[in-house]
Amino acid sequence: MAPDHTPAPPLVFTPRPSAPPPPSTVGVMGWLRANLFSSVPNAILTLLGAYILYVFLEAIISWALINAVWDAPNRRACLDAVGRSGACWPGVIAWLPNLIYGLYPKDQVWRIDLGALILVLWALPLFLPRVKSKVAIGLTAVLVYPFLVSYLFLGGEKGWIWMVLVAGSLATFFWVWLTAISEMRTGQGFIPLLVHTLAGPDPVPERARLVRQLAWAALFVTALLIVSRWQLVAVPTRLWGGLFLTMVISGIGITFSLPAGVLLALGRRSSMPLIRGFCVAFIELFRSVPLITILFMFNTMLPLFLPVGVEVDRLLRAIVAVCLFAAAYMAEIVRGGLQAIPKGQYEAAAAMGLGYWQSTTLIILPQALRIMIPAIVGNFIGLFKDTTLVSIIGLFDMLSMARAVGEDTRWLGLFIEPFFFITMIYFVFCFAMSQYSMNLERRLGGGQRR
Amino acid sequence: MTTPAIELVGVSKWYGGFQALKEINLSIAERERVVVCGPSGSGKSTMIRCVNQLERHQRGDIRIHGRAFGGGARDDEAIRRETGMVFQSFNLFPHMTVLENCTFALTWVKQMPEAEAKRIAMSHLERVRIPEQALKYPLQLSGGQQQRVAIARALCMQPRIMLFDEPTSALDPEMIKEVLDVMVELANTGMTMVVVTHEMGFARQVADRVVFMDQGEVVEQAPPEEFFANPRYDRTRMFLSQIL
Ligand SMILES: Nc1ncnc2c1ncn2[C@@H]1O[C@H](COP(=O)(O)OP(=O)(O)O)[C@@H](O)[C@H]1O
Ligand SMILES: [Mg+2]
Repeated sequence: MAPDHTPAPPLVFTPRPSAPPPPSTVGVMGWLRANLFSSVPNAILTLLGAYILYVFLEAIISWALINAVWDAPNRRACLDAVGRSGACWPGVIAWLPNLIYGLYPKDQVWRIDLGALILVLWALPLFLPRVKSKVAIGLTAVLVYPFLVSYLFLGGEKGWIWMVLVAGSLATFFWVWLTAISEMRTGQGFIPLLVHTLAGPDPVPERARLVRQLAWAALFVTALLIVSRWQLVAVPTRLWGGLFLTMVISGIGITFSLPAGVLLALGRRSSMPLIRGFCVAFIELFRSVPLITILFMFNTMLPLFLPVGVEVDRLLRAIVAVCLFAAAYMAEIVRGGLQAIPKGQYEAAAAMGLGYWQSTTLIILPQALRIMIPAIVGNFIGLFKDTTLVSIIGLFDMLSMARAVGEDTRWLGLFIEPFFFITMIYFVFCFAMSQYSMNLERRLGGGQRR
Repeated sequence: MTTPAIELVGVSKWYGGFQALKEINLSIAERERVVVCGPSGSGKSTMIRCVNQLERHQRGDIRIHGRAFGGGARDDEAIRRETGMVFQSFNLFPHMTVLENCTFALTWVKQMPEAEAKRIAMSHLERVRIPEQALKYPLQLSGGQQQRVAIARALCMQPRIMLFDEPTSALDPEMIKEVLDVMVELANTGMTMVVVTHEMGFARQVADRVVFMDQGEVVEQAPPEEFFANPRYDRTRMFLSQIL
């Protein structure tokens, strides 16, 4: 028989549509079944866990809310009313200003509130849509805001240098908001908008520069007029305390430690032996000594090394110690992040003609910092809590203030309630930081995962 | 005689005590297309990376369009900018979109206004046939697309010489062709090209010369017809019999 040479027509492949998943694996019931009741031991553990949670929460809620006393002249009255079964909140309420502001004079605490408000306002444009100058605004918040606020908190006589710095800082604050508003409404920064309207759409460079300088001069003079009217009484740092002091120390520590840590980490990877040696020595020294020891050393030994008559503020000593300590830790975190960036990224940047600083700041650090967000924020949270150690050298942070409540004759022995209260405050701040870090990770990670 | 685009004179390079390049002499004319091949570890990458000084050589001279490396960091940077490089592992910047990958060196290194940089970048993305992916991130693209973006990115800097280090080795077979097609087109525009590759079809089609390396030395070099038809050395024959 002759073989048949006509080829069979090709089979046509049609992919079948995807079917929905089995119903027992979706929805609330599916989730419950898969995660809580997947087996008999798992179901028992779930029920046991729920019971323990219930007992625990019930006890806390009935102590802190249901049985609690809210109004009483002293601790005796609380104990007479509910004994130890309920919290005695009036003591905490009476001490609330001190827990938050320390011994800062009562008629001056508005300065702290104002400082905090300015910080919030300064940072707000960073979260607004359509604001383009976010990098510049963020940088000024870190580099310029401190001048304004440190005068606000410290007060006292101001020399003309101080005046100029504070006025410049305030002028920058005006610039931040004018820029934010004009960028949101017109898509153009405030100064470029002024140049555009006053000097025409395509101005000669000299004219544009003149408008720019005049705009800044006007902002500065306005700020100077405002600042020169301020008469703030001096509040020495030994009166600072409470949550305020905690925020000051950890805020400075956090803003200093990140850039310093980045520089130390880069230095540690440098090919120049002197720089590398210094960075390694610094990092290893500060990492191998407890913070408490460093605080002690700075507090008691620093004055011995300084020339007679040079007095360094106690708070400043603590801040310097915290900053250096935090920078050393941050450096190691950053180094870890830098190591995770493949060598090919450096090579590609170099092959395109970028120098060391350009490839580091534009290619390597943005990627490394993104990977490091969880570790960095973890470090920030640790630092925030570590500031409680400054009570050792006689600064009244929130923890020492909480302890002081129970030593007040009216509230003698009232320790649990203030500690419970500041625990809540610490929790709120740390939880917020942690949530923000996750949010940041999600937003920045967009489009980069496979 | 005109100045060669690339000239290596007695170039040697050591990693510690190990000599990776042994007195390489090689001259590549302007508009010439050279394919470099050889067994793994023979020093192909090391040589091509010395050409743009990603690796520093320790002895000999490397001249690009007549200018030698080694006259100070600033000069070296300027000489390096005559070359563009495409890597085996693409090395795109994952935190930037495809378009930003292409524009950012223009705006930061060449200080070009954003609009102009964008225009140039788009024209090169069109050239490698992926303008529609411009706003995606590199990791959202296939390997072949990523490598084409890498080519476009290098071209944006308007180099006179393009260096390729095994540009298709990390790709799935079905993507190799799209990258090679782009490279063939580039070759047809008269760009000076040095390509380390084992794609012998590509070598046959576009190369003016094939260079065979082994153990840090250039063993032999010849136009492709001659190189494939009658290689002179036994080592070359063995290599060809293994890959063809
Ligand atoms: N950074 C390095 N350190 C030490 N040895 C290296 C390094 N890079 C390459 N080598 C060695 O140099 C030789 C040549 O490597 P390479 O140029 O990458 O070869 P090819 O690209 O031809 O496969 C190999 O033996 C390799 O092990
Ligand atoms: Mg190689």
